[in-house]
Amino acid sequence: MLLNRENSGERWRKRRDGKEKVTGELRYLTDMTAEGMLYGRVLRSIHPHARIVSLDVSAAEAYPGVVAVITHLDVPGLNRFGIATPDQPALCEDRVRYIGDAIAAVAAHTPELAEYALSLIHVEYEVLETITDPLRALEEDAPQLHPEGNVLHRTSVKQGDANEAFAGCAHIVRETYRTPRQMHAYMETEGGLFVPESDGRLTVYAPTQHGYKDRMQIARILGWEEERIRVVSSPIGGSFGGKDELNVQPYGSLLALKTGLPVKLHNSRKESVRAGLKRHPMRIEMETGIDLHGRLLAHRVRIVADTGAYATLGAPVLNFATEHAMGPYRIPHVDVEGISVFTNNGVSGEFRGFGGNQAIFAMEGQMDRLAEKLGMDPWEFRMLNRRQPHDPGPLQQEIWRTNGLYQVMEALEHSTIWQRRQARLDAGIEPGSFVAEMSSDKDRSIKSQPPWIKRGIGAALAMHGAGLGYGIEDPAGGRLSLNAAGQIEVAFSYEEFGQGLIATMEIMLIDLFHCDPSDISIIIGDTDRVPHSGSSTASRSTTMAWMALQRLKVPFLEAILQQAERLSGIPAQELTTGIGGIRRKPGMKDIMQPESASNLQQQGQVAESSSNPSHVPDHQIRVYHESLSIHGHQASASNAGQGSEQITSSSDATGELVISYQQLVAQSALDELIFDTHFQYPTTPDEVMGGHFLYTYAAVAAEVEVNTLTGNVRLLDTYHTVAAGPVINPMGFIGQIEGGSVMALGFTLTEDSVMDDGHYMTKNMDTYIIPTIQDMHSSLEVEAIEDLPENDPFGPRGIGEIGSVALAPAITAAIRQAAGVWVTHLPVPRERLIQPLGVGQQEGVSPR
Amino acid sequence: MNRASMNWNATINGKERELEVEPSRRLLDVLRTDLELTGTKVSCEIGRCGACMVLIDGEPVNSCLTMAYQCQGKDITTIEGLHGDKPAELHPIQEAFLEEGGFQCGYCTPGMIISTKALLDRNEQPDEHTIKEALCGNLCRCTGYGGIMRAVESAAVKCKTRTEEPSVAE
Repeated sequence: MLLNRENSGERWRKRRDGKEKVTGELRYLTDMTAEGMLYGRVLRSIHPHARIVSLDVSAAEAYPGVVAVITHLDVPGLNRFGIATPDQPALCEDRVRYIGDAIAAVAAHTPELAEYALSLIHVEYEVLETITDPLRALEEDAPQLHPEGNVLHRTSVKQGDANEAFAGCAHIVRETYRTPRQMHAYMETEGGLFVPESDGRLTVYAPTQHGYKDRMQIARILGWEEERIRVVSSPIGGSFGGKDELNVQPYGSLLALKTGLPVKLHNSRKESVRAGLKRHPMRIEMETGIDLHGRLLAHRVRIVADTGAYATLGAPVLNFATEHAMGPYRIPHVDVEGISVFTNNGVSGEFRGFGGNQAIFAMEGQMDRLAEKLGMDPWEFRMLNRRQPHDPGPLQQEIWRTNGLYQVMEALEHSTIWQRRQARLDAGIEPGSFVAEMSSDKDRSIKSQPPWIKRGIGAALAMHGAGLGYGIEDPAGGRLSLNAAGQIEVAFSYEEFGQGLIATMEIMLIDLFHCDPSDISIIIGDTDRVPHSGSSTASRSTTMAWMALQRLKVPFLEAILQQAERLSGIPAQELTTGIGGIRRKPGMKDIMQPESASNLQQQGQVAESSSNPSHVPDHQIRVYHESLSIHGHQASASNAGQGSEQITSSSDATGELVISYQQLVAQSALDELIFDTHFQYPTTPDEVMGGHFLYTYAAVAAEVEVNTLTGNVRLLDTYHTVAAGPVINPMGFIGQIEGGSVMALGFTLTEDSVMDDGHYMTKNMDTYIIPTIQDMHSSLEVEAIEDLPENDPFGPRGIGEIGSVALAPAITAAIRQAAGVWVTHLPVPRERLIQPLGVGQQEGVSPR
Repeated sequence: MNRASMNWNATINGKERELEVEPSRRLLDVLRTDLELTGTKVSCEIGRCGACMVLIDGEPVNSCLTMAYQCQGKDITTIEGLHGDKPAELHPIQEAFLEEGGFQCGYCTPGMIISTKALLDRNEQPDEHTIKEALCGNLCRCTGYGGIMRAVESAAVKCKTRTEEPSVAE
């Protein structure tokens, strides 16, 4: 279904958290203040690599208005952080490894005083060699940045015998791809408020993608029990992976405890650039061979990732890139090796797409080059080589099978943009001179274009894993209750950073209970109030929230309907939840059988206590499926695609009111109406480190206009099709794909955090260029494929990342068609696209 | 108060305000800190992103680049001052952003809406080119601008309808 407001019907809903955003009333955590609070500032290294010879904070401490100065000596617990490997000092002891490294922090009565106090801190450095190139870091005589050396992580995938297979290839393409140090560039920079409470606890109001993980890390730094810390982590002004790791939390927490006063920190943009995470720049060498008929035979990949000074999630990012370096293709002989290397260039870490963006750009580039060598249509070539529905995953692991790959490929073939490309080729119009026929093109009323304006269309494919992958703790769960105010309340440890999680949850609850939005309470982002249900990362929260609600709704409904039966005397099977309270079902259709519900609940409990949570047992799948059939809405496979079904206007919602939720809860024991569930994100049963079980598929087509006088590339048209199961929240879905796509446009054309000798040259948004509304083109189509296989127990898949992973190779394929240039480096170097005037079609360029 | 402070007055969201303000302070800080009008956001602080956009005598201005003293006696509108005919109601532009999904994290939204207000005050039927021209000083990292474009187009229709309805005349 082409997603837009018109096609979405009642599912197109104003966001629950929207009004306070459009009025400016919403208090972000960085807007918060507290009576008598202090302002914190952090002293960061001025050298990318140096030994700290001496550190003197006495002048700063003595300055009037300064309340506290902290150094590594003030860290009571582990003076390190890092989600996976704690190797980054909260406050450096004797060495700095990048220009964002923190050495001291100050709390003062005003921001100006805190800033001034930093200038009074005296640090004596002994400058060391700056490692700016990962290849230099791997040389024997390079300075070692960490006790274990300069290699953070290595990966290796070997299937068949690539060396031998290359000898039998009819065509081989060798290419080296490079991708930029992309910045998340969330509009709200890092910050928060840190409040020491009178009961000896600490409250941290600071954005993060996983409140419980922050709580664990802060507790580790403070040497505290986790329960003494409350982390409030939503709402968030954008994250995209960038606020997943700790940022200002160590300094705010330590300063608040040292002073006994609330402390506020809020990074300036410059400091955010200097200290914050970026996307891993990768150098990816690929050598890919095919036989005479175009079948892939052998694939060799070498990935070098610049992980910067510290680990954070650099290792899992490399795992992900490695897994995605083979694409959704059948290749008998594979030899992939990856290495993630420490340097003195900032810190690279988690970022939407998580290594997939880089690997997919390279792999899809190989596919286009091979198709061209063979003289085959690039999409036909992909069809010839794509994975078959029953094939294992890229790491030969068991995966959950869907038809997503076939569906997105077919959808793209039928898209207007791809049809336009084919029509031009069929008409014999030379690629690159498409503009010539523009005058006759009805939808593009451009009278005539000068010869240096050239157009091309390209496409790319992505198979993107969701969840953290095999071998990584990936807990999920949630709580469903009727709260004291008489509202159906859900609580999850997920975060709202703009993606629309709250809106999606509201729609899920209305789907399940036919209630009014005012009957609902949604609690997220507060470790004191939510159960541990894992992180909001890896495109996982929508699926996890949906699965948790599927587990919880049966016992919950049974409990409240039985309670309603007790209070009203009407049999539970004649009752249902609706707007404002429990209502009488109109007919006898859709009757809930209490016995079967009870059976389901028991089976569900068996499944939950299963000792092998990583694999979904068959009986569990049955539970999901059967439980779906009780209320039979939206999420089931057979109903997929009926996105506009009007849940709230179903007869269940408006039958005769028997008892309001408030009346019901007033006459009940609250603790009997609370239900928790805990499970794990589904992972592959095969022991493949980082291997995924659930994949989402996408195909992207892009039309570009290249100006060969200036090298400027303009995106004219984009088509995204995504196979991710039923669309719960169409506004959110479109927003994620459009937003991901434009972020990928920046990755492809303009964005790069340029570093020189370990220093950022692009310090703010004037030189770090993200797309503006001027770069947006009027037609960006999003087509959602909602079908899932029958009995699919996982419901809607997350789509937070997949919009951002496949646009780059589609654009570079389009550039090839337009200007005859194969682009290997991102962002696209404009100078490579400039051609001398008067020179006609470039030699040897005849891509199909 | 600091000796260097000056008596500062301005009309902010329709109300006369008088404050002691040091001449070195930015309008952005006076709004966010002194007046607690945190709907005006802080992001790049170099006038590039538009998160701190306010209207000064009807003109859209980055309040991070504006010193408070430069606004002496001026009429300043922040997002908090933009509402429908009654303070509890949404302005049609806000309504349009809400309906079309013209925001996600919401951090750029107040600035985006203020720039839209300035545009529609000047041009009630802007074409695509004019909208892009008016909003290219406001960065959004979440939406990809699709929802914003749709919201502004819808807002133009709403605002026009409103001014044409005699019953809403003040």
